[in-house]
Amino acid sequence: MTDPLIRQKHRIGGATWATFVLAALLLWSLVAIEFAPSRMIQVPGQVARVLSFFYPADMAYGWSAVLPAIVESIQIAWVGTLIAALLSLPLALFGARTLFPRIARLVKLISATARAFPEILLAIYFVPIVGLGPFAGALAIGISSVGMLTKLGSEVVESIDFGPVEAVEASGGSRILALRYAVVPQVLPEIVAHWLFRFELNIRASAVLGVVGAGGVGGVLLNTLRYRHFEKAAAVLLLTILVVLVIDMISGEIRRRIIRS
Amino acid sequence: MTPVVPPKPPINYGLWGGALAFVALMTVWSAQGIGFSISELWCNLSSGSRLLQESWPPDFAFLPRLIDPFIETLNIAIIGTIVGGILAVPVAVLAARNLTTGPLVWFADRNFMNILRTLPDLFWAMLFATAVGFGPVAGALALSMFTIAVISKLWSESLEAIDMAMPEAVRAVGGTWLQMVQFGALPQGLQHYVSYALYAFELNVRASMVLGLVGAGGIGMILETQRANFEYERVTLIILVVLVAVLIIEQISSSIRRRLA
Repeated sequence: MTDPLIRQKHRIGGATWATFVLAALLLWSLVAIEFAPSRMIQVPGQVARVLSFFYPADMAYGWSAVLPAIVESIQIAWVGTLIAALLSLPLALFGARTLFPRIARLVKLISATARAFPEILLAIYFVPIVGLGPFAGALAIGISSVGMLTKLGSEVVESIDFGPVEAVEASGGSRILALRYAVVPQVLPEIVAHWLFRFELNIRASAVLGVVGAGGVGGVLLNTLRYRHFEKAAAVLLLTILVVLVIDMISGEIRRRIIRS
Repeated sequence: MTPVVPPKPPINYGLWGGALAFVALMTVWSAQGIGFSISELWCNLSSGSRLLQESWPPDFAFLPRLIDPFIETLNIAIIGTIVGGILAVPVAVLAARNLTTGPLVWFADRNFMNILRTLPDLFWAMLFATAVGFGPVAGALALSMFTIAVISKLWSESLEAIDMAMPEAVRAVGGTWLQMVQFGALPQGLQHYVSYALYAFELNVRASMVLGLVGAGGIGMILETQRANFEYERVTLIILVVLVAVLIIEQISSSIRRRLA
């Protein structure tokens, strides 16, 4: 007689199957892009070689050319976030299933479609329309952020306490008055926190828009790497990392305070 | 009898005024910096409508030539998610305050994670394209780095919220640190991990579509050449394909995520 605690079931569980499937997918993908083991061994050496060219960073170039480009990226992100915030605030209210069940479905569909677009693809369209430069970038960022801000905003609206809304309507207020006095005061802090979070994301997004000529620091990095000016590229990376870290820290701190109060 | 009205909470004019002034100044400065002008936008709308006419209808005859690059794009996203997902595990565990091996390791890992997170996906793509040459291998490596940044940040936070009774029990019966993590901590975080990995996959699919703009393989490379030749019917087709694919993958992934939650 065997002890039931010792007897083990030899059964292939879901996790094992998942591992097999994932391993097969990985193998197929590696073969498909011709990432052979011989190539893999070369990678660390190649990366180390290029990294060694990065030192020392050309900070003179950094202060004179890179910093203005980073400032431009920040400006693009700010204007883009502002456009998105203004557009998404009414959409977030109308997208709340609890307040407007019928319109909400349409708004959610629009926001899902807008979210699927990478900013850079929108920028490809805006660059020929408004010309090369940061304005096209700001529009692209703005339009592409609307989707996410609408989604997050309407989720905030759906989670509110309905007491105040009913109170306004019970005392004879209209739907619009209920929005103004019962909904907006409840949701605004969290929505502003989402705006700030999106601003952090948009700084990264606007940093890459330069690749298609829509202003910002991405174009500088692309050019320095293309012409193998690695010391200048190092300055771009260094300053970008520093600025983004600082802005993340400030914005994160403000968000924490808004949510807490 | 007059109704009893609760007193209005006092308004902190200094804080509100300061915040509004900051937002206003920042907006004016940014709008000037990027040359934001509604009138210019209005004037340019005519050229924009011409562009839209040129880009419609999409050139469906081009579709067969998109199949191979499209599959390559998915391969890049799969490799990036799996490799990055595996590498993210130690990064996340060491960055969780309750599981890390020591304050120094925690501090170093935390900063490493934050610095990884500052660089956008296309910056990684540019760097790897420079280091290992143009092509999908650079894209796969770039997305691996990006995935580490995404998953480790999110997961380290949910690991900090686990129930510490189990890891402590493993330690109490003489388990090593590795056994504590393996049997006490990771099983509790598994659900979150899968959900974040799927989320990273969604982001990677979207990112892999545009990696080609900087020469890192996938459908974006075709996009870049067609854009440079002003073949906007084809650009529209590519963007439509990308949009549909991203939406489908997102639907599948988010339905799995919802079932896990």
